[in-house]
Amino acid sequence: MRAQFVFQEIWIGLRRNLTMTISLVITVAIAMALFGTGLLIRGQVNASKDYWSDKIEVSVFLCAKTSSNQQCQKKDATQPQKDEINKLLKQMPQVADVHYESRADAWKRFKDRFASQPGFVNSTREGDIPDSFRIRLKNPQEYKAVTQALLGRAGVDQVINEQEILKRFFSILNGLQVAALLIALFQVVAAVLLVGNTVRLSAFNRRRETGIMRLVGASNTYIQMPFILEGAIAGLIGGLFSSVLLVMSKTFLIDRLAGDIQFASQLGWGTVIWVIIVSICFGVLLCAAASFLTLRRYLRI
Amino acid sequence: MIHFDNVTKVYKTQNRPALQHVNVAIEKGEFLFLVGPSGSGKSTFLRLILKEERPSQGHVHVAGKDLSRISNWKVPHLRRRIGCVFQDFRLLPNKNVFENVAFALEVIGKPRRFIQKVVPEVIDLVGLEGKQHRMPDELSGGEQQRVAIARAFVNRPMILLADEPTGNIDPATSIGIMKVLDRINRTGTTVVMATHDAAIVDAFRKRVVELEDGRVVRDQSRGVYGQAY
Repeated sequence: MRAQFVFQEIWIGLRRNLTMTISLVITVAIAMALFGTGLLIRGQVNASKDYWSDKIEVSVFLCAKTSSNQQCQKKDATQPQKDEINKLLKQMPQVADVHYESRADAWKRFKDRFASQPGFVNSTREGDIPDSFRIRLKNPQEYKAVTQALLGRAGVDQVINEQEILKRFFSILNGLQVAALLIALFQVVAAVLLVGNTVRLSAFNRRRETGIMRLVGASNTYIQMPFILEGAIAGLIGGLFSSVLLVMSKTFLIDRLAGDIQFASQLGWGTVIWVIIVSICFGVLLCAAASFLTLRRYLRI
Repeated sequence: MIHFDNVTKVYKTQNRPALQHVNVAIEKGEFLFLVGPSGSGKSTFLRLILKEERPSQGHVHVAGKDLSRISNWKVPHLRRRIGCVFQDFRLLPNKNVFENVAFALEVIGKPRRFIQKVVPEVIDLVGLEGKQHRMPDELSGGEQQRVAIARAFVNRPMILLADEPTGNIDPATSIGIMKVLDRINRTGTTVVMATHDAAIVDAFRKRVVELEDGRVVRDQSRGVYGQAY
């Protein structure tokens, strides 16, 4: 098979229905970008879940002078109150581990964690985070019993289940992922139909050539190859555009979202590159397969 | 070379068979005129040889092979050994004479050096010396048909099928076309030519097979077109 000949045919084919090709490239780019964004979000969710799975805690914040809870009466929790809460927690069967974090420790941890955002740190003072007990549960689902036992007890300001916060975040991400994949699905359908139309036009434009090729005994592969490659090249160009869009969606959507929620794990560029490769391959295969299937209808061989 | 063994062809959309119980044996190197009115089954006869259609009954053998036993993916290899010429030339308007002929070799993957050597030879053989770089629309009908013949013959097929090759050409030019086909026949190529052209058939005195309503009504060596027309 002579490569130069095949590529010449492809070039002629792509140029002849340029407008079709452009719309195909745009559709594929958007479809693949959305598909890739879906994958990226999934990657973010998984990475975050891994990161958080052994860190999920129930935090029991104790009363402080600054707390707005009526029950605290604007007083710090006393040492006897703390001892009692500690004893209670240690007795509870659901609790795996308890440790006490003083406001000084909490402040230090806060500073470390948000070291990259000095503005945020500067607007906070030591003591803004009250003393607390950090509890790890044997089974994170059993937080309710613990919460109920603690709420209303002397010296307890509030009980926060971190899982609840994460759940809300994950549900936002999951919603985005489903939306991205759903729109991607529609775009994929549109792309397949567009490939079909492009190939049909292309086959019609070149019916003379293909007729002669058939007559002089060109193999089926040789006759079909320019059409399939035409689709695949359009898919490849679309895929390349989608990789630009994916980089944008990583920097402007996912990173920003993760940043807003002070989310610890950042999606690495390795994942992004992997997603880009998957999207491009998927786009190319999709277009090639769609060309091949339509050819069977419009190109007699 | 070509054997029709009790072949019947019925097209799905028609009740009347296009060919009925046709038995014809064409030997290697023969020149055969296929005559008969329109719709008598001449084109179907040629299409069956190319395996463009398959017989409803009976068998077609080409070069010792039963076409019904050739798998679809091998059909292109069969067609490489059969050249085809049509009434309407079927040249590519955006390619010149050389490129049109070379196209037939390019698409079956022949190397460039081979093409550069063989194509000019064939162009000379059909009598188009010095016209390699003309475009089809700069050529007369007769010259265009010569290009088509060159394209059909460039891969040295065993069989050349011609479906009314002189149908669009004036009688004087037709003689020239026939001389080219005769020259090709003399190289040992079997030529089957479907035609309406009584003058040519009478002049050449080759074997004549006449079809009428899909039946062979006459098979005569050194025949004429027939009194009825």
